[in-house]
Amino acid sequence: MATVANYANIFTRYDLIGAGAAKGAMVSSKDTALQKVLECVLEGDSDNIAAVVNEALATKDPMTVINDGLIRGMNEVSRLWDEGEYYLPQAIVASDAMLQGLDICEKKLGQSLEKKGTVITHTAEGDIHDLGQKIVNALLRANGYNVIDLGKDVPVDDVVAAVKKNKPVMVTGTALMTTTMTAFERISNRLLKDGFETPFVCGGGAVSLEYVTGYKLGVYGKDASQAPGMANDAVNGLGWTDMREKWNS
Amino acid sequence: MPKYDKMAYASAGEMIFGTAKNPVKYGRDFTVGGGQVFPELVPHPRPGTEATKKTLVKEYEKMVTDVLDRCVAIGIPGIQIELEHVYQMTKNPDWGGEIASATKHLQEEYHRKYGLKSGIRATIADYRKPDEEDIRNSVAIETSLKTFETSAAGGADVLSIESVGGKEISDYTIVRQDIRGTLFGIGVLGSRDMEYMWKKIVDIANKYGVTPGGDTNCAQANVAMFMAGGYQDRSVPHTFAALTRAIAAARSLVAYEQGAKGPSKDCGYEDVIIKSITGNPIAMEGKTCACAHSDLLGNLVAACCDLWSNEAVEYHDMFGGTTVAVFAEILGYDVALMNTAIQMGHEKVLQELMVQSDKYRDTHGFILCPENAYEIGKAIVGNNTSYYARAKAAAIKAGQLMLGDSKLQMSAFEKESLESAMRTLDSLPEKEEDFISECADIYKKLIPGFTLANYGL
Repeated sequence: MATVANYANIFTRYDLIGAGAAKGAMVSSKDTALQKVLECVLEGDSDNIAAVVNEALATKDPMTVINDGLIRGMNEVSRLWDEGEYYLPQAIVASDAMLQGLDICEKKLGQSLEKKGTVITHTAEGDIHDLGQKIVNALLRANGYNVIDLGKDVPVDDVVAAVKKNKPVMVTGTALMTTTMTAFERISNRLLKDGFETPFVCGGGAVSLEYVTGYKLGVYGKDASQAPGMANDAVNGLGWTDMREKWNS
Repeated sequence: MPKYDKMAYASAGEMIFGTAKNPVKYGRDFTVGGGQVFPELVPHPRPGTEATKKTLVKEYEKMVTDVLDRCVAIGIPGIQIELEHVYQMTKNPDWGGEIASATKHLQEEYHRKYGLKSGIRATIADYRKPDEEDIRNSVAIETSLKTFETSAAGGADVLSIESVGGKEISDYTIVRQDIRGTLFGIGVLGSRDMEYMWKKIVDIANKYGVTPGGDTNCAQANVAMFMAGGYQDRSVPHTFAALTRAIAAARSLVAYEQGAKGPSKDCGYEDVIIKSITGNPIAMEGKTCACAHSDLLGNLVAACCDLWSNEAVEYHDMFGGTTVAVFAEILGYDVALMNTAIQMGHEKVLQELMVQSDKYRDTHGFILCPENAYEIGKAIVGNNTSYYARAKAAAIKAGQLMLGDSKLQMSAFEKESLESAMRTLDSLPEKEEDFISECADIYKKLIPGFTLANYGL
């Protein structure tokens, strides 16, 4: 049988364009202990983060370890992800390590760091596909948000009650199926009826921009990675119409 | 425990679309794998129609009528319709049963009037929550099993499911590029859950005289593949997703070891590996499922199919008719081309064209081209001492194949991801009990709600 002489006429490997050797992280610390903390975050090394954070805490105050080690490392991870050098798993394992380290520092401080705000997340009633929500949770927590995770297959009543009780800066809803995402509009209507205008970011699977922008409060979330930026906007006072204008138009 | 210890085919070269070693017959003169490829059309209701049984049944009646009308309009000899349950159809067993009955009624009418051959697959929703409940003794499993019964009694010819055992682990590990946990979640826990589920599903199928079809690793390997996405995506390395697919083959095989006969479930991209082992007919989807999701093996994946599917298309109007009618026509012409090739003795040529279109487009197509799928199948049957052993062997073989073909290009990052996973696989314990013990210690701490008891451990 004949063979293919030139695959370039069949497909183009756009993924290989500019895919040279990894450039790696561009942050470092002159302090040996903080350098170890930075490296643990950048490598997502949850096995060793506790040891290096404790080592750093032996000579430094917790806020220094947090700001110059953990958060600085996580900011660099975000840059590497944004520039396409890291994939999502590298960002997730880095956030795991960072949050572990943060927990140790907060215990030493004797208090939790003040969170940027509270976000309630859930997966729609009838839907057990919550992986997208879990990614959103991890990214929000790594970016300094208090996340109230309502879990999967969450009844409309429970979402509405949680918003009323906790008054979050933002709510998120994830759904894989079009036949479960209809719960989002019911949540929106109930919140509006009770006087809440909380931005309600919805996304996942078959959820579309057209659908989400068809009801009030709805802001379409195309990708989990957008969640921290959207939460920042909500904290900074953007309402759901402003957020929709910024992210969905 | 694993049962398959040899391949159904003597070589990959024997495998071809339209023919399976063990064809299955059901429905209205409908034979799958008997020398002809048929389309499998999957209609999906519009949002809002799931509000009541009446509106949902009506929606299905309209969709099925549109499909059957288009088959007659352009001369498609036969078609399978999949009733892929939305949550409401499974949670309310009578809904699933009534929709199966309505579909059968329509198919019988078109068979009587026109001789249109047809079959119905009911795919019951698995809405168990492994990290929140006893998945072997919950309302969810009882309801799902009841809906299998109502669907079979109502008129479904083939029963399928997309089971979710081990998903609590793989959801955690896939996004962390953790191959050990992915092997545990899919290869060990997923396999054990399938063994438990499929004994029950096969019993129900036998009770009603219908065909137990097959499962798919949609909840896990498809998650990895979809997250790997296209060339621009950076969510999961493509090489990692391909390893996940090889593991999934060892897992989805369990349905057939418990008595499933095929046709397999369309979104099980691992099914070509399973066909090489079982000889059972398979349903596949590729370019025709772009309405539901994108993939990088749109032609290649048809190379050994017996049913050719669209995955799911939501019911709407298009210029050329409703979406379900349009996709029935697209599928119908695709299988007409395959069946023409068979009739003219050019099926191996067409198969080769399909393969060469996508073999080096991406890692997923590479490991699923017939010759590589066959090698992975051999690794599975040659390591059948445990679910763990064969799933690990499948992943290692897939990795070796990817690293061993210089035409398969990959970025430095993708290659390092693969080599890292291979190093981990090589370092894992020999014995399944040691692996389970190691993983139990790790993931009980990391994943709230995870319990070995859900898997009989």
